[in-house]
Amino acid sequence: MSLARTARLSRWFSHTTVAIVSIVLLLWTLLPIYNIIRVSLQAKEEVLSSSVLPLAPSLIAFDTVIHQAYWLLSTFWSQMGNSFYIGITVALLTLIIGSLTSFVIGRMRTSKGWMLTHAALLTYTIPMSFLAIPFYSIMGKYGLINNPIAVIAVEVTFATPYAIFIFQQYGASIPMELDEAARIDGASPPQIFFRVYLPLMAPALVAIGTYALLLSWNEYLYAFLLLSGGSVVTVPVALGKFLAGDEAPWNLLMAAAIIYALPPLIIYYGFRRKMTGGLTMGGVKG
Amino acid sequence: MTRITRRQALAGIGAAGAAALAKPNLARAAGGEVTVWWSQGFYQQENKAIINAMADWEKRTGTKVNLSFMTDPDLITKLTAGMQTGDVPDLVHCVTADRFLVPRAAWNDQLEDVTDVLDTQKAEFIPTALKASRYYNAGQKKYSIYSVPIKCSTVMNNVWRPLVQEAGFTDADIPKTQDAFYDFFQVVQDKLRGKGKRIFGLGYSMATKEADSGNLFAAFLVAYGGEKIVLPDGKLNIDDPTVRKAAVTALDRLTTPYKKGYVPPGAINWGDVDNNNAFYARQVVMTPNATISVAVAQSDKADQYYKELVTYGRPLGNDGKPMLGILAVSPCFIPKGAKNLDGGKALLRDFIQPESLNSYLKETRARYLPVMMKNIKEDPYWTDPNDPHRPVAVQAGLIQPTLPNWMNYNPAYAQVLSEQIWIQAEANITQKNMGIEQAVDEVAARMKVMFEKYQIG
Repeated sequence: MSLARTARLSRWFSHTTVAIVSIVLLLWTLLPIYNIIRVSLQAKEEVLSSSVLPLAPSLIAFDTVIHQAYWLLSTFWSQMGNSFYIGITVALLTLIIGSLTSFVIGRMRTSKGWMLTHAALLTYTIPMSFLAIPFYSIMGKYGLINNPIAVIAVEVTFATPYAIFIFQQYGASIPMELDEAARIDGASPPQIFFRVYLPLMAPALVAIGTYALLLSWNEYLYAFLLLSGGSVVTVPVALGKFLAGDEAPWNLLMAAAIIYALPPLIIYYGFRRKMTGGLTMGGVKG
Repeated sequence: MTRITRRQALAGIGAAGAAALAKPNLARAAGGEVTVWWSQGFYQQENKAIINAMADWEKRTGTKVNLSFMTDPDLITKLTAGMQTGDVPDLVHCVTADRFLVPRAAWNDQLEDVTDVLDTQKAEFIPTALKASRYYNAGQKKYSIYSVPIKCSTVMNNVWRPLVQEAGFTDADIPKTQDAFYDFFQVVQDKLRGKGKRIFGLGYSMATKEADSGNLFAAFLVAYGGEKIVLPDGKLNIDDPTVRKAAVTALDRLTTPYKKGYVPPGAINWGDVDNNNAFYARQVVMTPNATISVAVAQSDKADQYYKELVTYGRPLGNDGKPMLGILAVSPCFIPKGAKNLDGGKALLRDFIQPESLNSYLKETRARYLPVMMKNIKEDPYWTDPNDPHRPVAVQAGLIQPTLPNWMNYNPAYAQVLSEQIWIQAEANITQKNMGIEQAVDEVAARMKVMFEKYQIG
């Protein structure tokens, strides 16, 4: 066998292996998503059938969710509003606290500032669920049980240390000379923060904002623990109630889950361009 | 004039903020409101029934009720957190708390003694419901009443009549005794498979989660003579030859059909809802369930409810005699630390008036049974011969002999159920090919460890 033929065979084998592994991984990843979509298009009675494709696909489940025409979905849009309110507030507060802290520690060279970053990161050594009872106790004492502020406070607490860490790491790549140049031009620290630091931090801000949003968007434990009443609960808690009954309408559950997954998807892909835009914006202008 | 420093000013603002945030909590305690946490209903009518009952009490007493519905697992988690921190509601109803929360909370002295509430209707409650209200308090070293029964249920068997007919049988062909009854559906499966139908005869729940699998195993254990697995004095009796034989037979009768392909393979992952869904999808010919909810949920479809769905109670024993059954009793209880204990008790006293309970249960479409014979005797609704399901459930739960679940004798059995060790044994047999005797040995060893922790007396 010639060397060229051996090389061709080897290349073919390598490509085929990669293709097979890719197909398996793709199926492994997409199958659950396909199942969610399949079930959402099926009638309730058909959900447990062994058919791979929906026998009579319809959008009735989506229509039911959109029009809140099922008792467990009667306040779906209000719950969606709660999720938005909590998610957006958590993202904004995390960005504000994280960026200000990282600016003070990283750019203003606060003495022993590194200790704050490290101390904040230490909070991740304790799993979120372990702090459920202490948080429940604290919120109870402040009368915040059944108040979205309680969930916001908890989520910001968990998101902020990571935000500070990432901002500091990212901020380290921005030359200090830019700050010094601005200072020579007479810029005050707030002006440096808003006009120099924040614009250059855009990619990190988008990444952390998305992270904080998704963290609170998908939160279940603290949301059900701290929010009881029907009018203040978020969508994940409300969807959890589907699993209490003896006749869970899986098609409605999946349709609601798909609708609930859309906003973060849109936000993520919408801001992704900004993220790359920020990355290519560069640090020196004019 | 004293000059206030910046630090003092900040501390003052912080204290004022904390006081302002704490204010609503104090107001709630002083306002005489009653906070109630209730198990979310399986269908809308169940929630509506309790909303109406609470609204009626609010109107009559002028006391505001803060009512929250939660799923059972969420409610138990939240209440566990609340009992740690002292922030608890004034009244709780949780369907599965009889096994997953009340026994150990009573043991740990975390519940209010509600003997005075139960005593107001003591003469009306059926004996098994009264026994099911009694739990052991380790601090006080005595049994007392820590829950008030609201409703009850026992394992029922749901069958698709059209599928039985398609296999060439009629209702009259379905045997009446334990082994023959369940074996019959294996024959039905064979016949239907012969006609090219992809179907399973038996919809046994066999997952190590939620309650249905445990209910089914308990029903089988009692059916084969294992009712004395825990004695009324709280002692474990697993080494008793009769109990052991019953455990072996129960495991054998549940796992062998699975291994032979008469139970859907996915049944080892079924949650409580999934056997119902498999049944509705006509993937199984029959399924045992803790209540008559399978039929009740279809009550708006007259053809299904009256013609196609058949509910059977407990079969007769293999000797042809009526068998004992476990009666699951859903409790109301009051955690210690309730801010309005008197309000919670007053609401509960009012709610357990026979007429109130009956009205509530009827509004829930009678998925659960009453805990008072008066309701059965005085209201023909429960024994209506035109209804194919309710009278059957009444017969199985309230007329035939029943016993409470074993955690009423010793909270260690609540741990047995929480850890699902019987169902784990089923999994060992079906998934790891473990011998049944060995599986029972493992269960017995684990149970002995659990019962060591809960010494009564």
